[in-house]
Amino acid sequence: MKKILTILLTAILSLTAFSAKASGGEGEESGKIDTKAIIFEHLGDRYGWEVPFCHHLSIPLPIIVRDYEGSWHVFSSSRVQHGEEFEGFYIASEGDHHGKVVGSKPGTDGAMVEYRPLDISITKNVAALIICALVVMLCIFSVKRWYAKHGMKAPRKWTAFIELVVEFVYMGVIRPTLGAKAPKFAPYLLTVFIFILTMNLLGLIVIFPGGANLTGNIAVTMVLALFTFFITNIFGSKHYWKDIFWPEVPLWLKFPIPIMPMIEVFGIFTKPAALMVRLFANMMGGHMIVIVLTLLIFIFAALGGIAVGAGTSVVSVAFSLFMLLLDTLVSFIQAFVFTMLSTLFISLAQAPAEHHE
Amino acid sequence: MELFTPEFGLVFWMFVVFALLFFLLAKYAWPFIVKSLEERAEMIDKGVLYAKEAKEQLDNSKAEAEKYIAEAQMKQAEILREAAKMKSQIIEDAKAAATVEAKKVMDAAKLAIEQARKESELQFRNEVSAFALSIAEKMVRKNMSTDKAQTELVDKLLNEVEVKN
Repeated sequence: MKKILTILLTAILSLTAFSAKASGGEGEESGKIDTKAIIFEHLGDRYGWEVPFCHHLSIPLPIIVRDYEGSWHVFSSSRVQHGEEFEGFYIASEGDHHGKVVGSKPGTDGAMVEYRPLDISITKNVAALIICALVVMLCIFSVKRWYAKHGMKAPRKWTAFIELVVEFVYMGVIRPTLGAKAPKFAPYLLTVFIFILTMNLLGLIVIFPGGANLTGNIAVTMVLALFTFFITNIFGSKHYWKDIFWPEVPLWLKFPIPIMPMIEVFGIFTKPAALMVRLFANMMGGHMIVIVLTLLIFIFAALGGIAVGAGTSVVSVAFSLFMLLLDTLVSFIQAFVFTMLSTLFISLAQAPAEHHE
Repeated sequence: MELFTPEFGLVFWMFVVFALLFFLLAKYAWPFIVKSLEERAEMIDKGVLYAKEAKEQLDNSKAEAEKYIAEAQMKQAEILREAAKMKSQIIEDAKAAATVEAKKVMDAAKLAIEQARKESELQFRNEVSAFALSIAEKMVRKNMSTDKAQTELVDKLLNEVEVKN
């Protein structure tokens, strides 16, 4: 049975190599694959959401831009998808704004100049963001509804899983770290955890509701890190600020030249920056490796023909599978680490004055 | 590089979506869920404690019941012993009372007998003295005159007889 399965799988994978060769031949005359472009296209953002198995079709999404004169334009992404121009806007195919919506305006010398309008389009990432938020709301409100309906009875099935995750974070991290202040900060920390976890996991699903590289996008992690930054510092205790500007170190470390205060102030900003980069790099790296492993099939098929491509596909699918499983684990770990470190930073800023003798 | 420069549109939407999500969940869901979690944890802790206490009480009550049974048995034995004691006491008392009564009856009988004896003695003496007088009278009438000295002699002889008895 196992043998048959292996043979079948190998055959299917080999077929993908054939099709890879075929499509490669069709799409690009040179037979060369621009791997870098493909990788960055998949990691980045797009107007419109591609439909699986149909590269030229995509779900249109609204583009919202403000031109240089200050008026707003809202139109469907399908109008500019294939390089057309609409109301003076088009998607740049090269230059600094490659892949983004740009417009043209008259320059100083009268010639038309390309410029980037203020762009708050509902891109693929924004749509994914909204879907994630809805999924999170659905999950969390289902738990709430359960409690409202059944009281103290333990939840079942899906609700129980959500509750397990919530309890794991709340009882495992938030309450032991923050103690009596846990209920005050728990809503933020739990929202962060569930939201990051949902974004990570949905990002691993390749087709429609998922597939957006959200937490692997620095804009998303930056906003999350900024939230932690502001909550940490706005709710920081007096002792926290005193420790930053007048830490308990020998006087020469802080008096004529404030060495320690400078380091501490620097630390305020490096903490959320570390949060931002850690989540971003981990998730982006995971996505990138899976894409590269998949691309290896096409590269080898292009280089050494079908047989080599077929051989590679077996290996690379096995590796991709392994990487995706690993990414599932990483999704959880990174969401957990982000929450744990946020909790830690907040609790450090909450520390009451301790008396060292 | 594009990958490392945050896009304004995405930052804007991320902020809006996350703030909205946070607001909704923080207002309507988390406090309730956290409270319920805490309450349930507390309830389970209490339940465990209660079960432990109940078990302890059960064990205690078993021991107590055994103690009560033992006590009751002891009391029973004591009561039985006391009853036996009381029984023998009553019998003894009855015996003593009977003895006293019997003694009384005997004493009364003795007294009556003594009295009767004394009476009969007195009677006997009177009769004997009357016999003696009549005998002496007959003797004296026959051969001597009534003399004071002879009467005295007879009385003296009678006293001697009485002392002998």
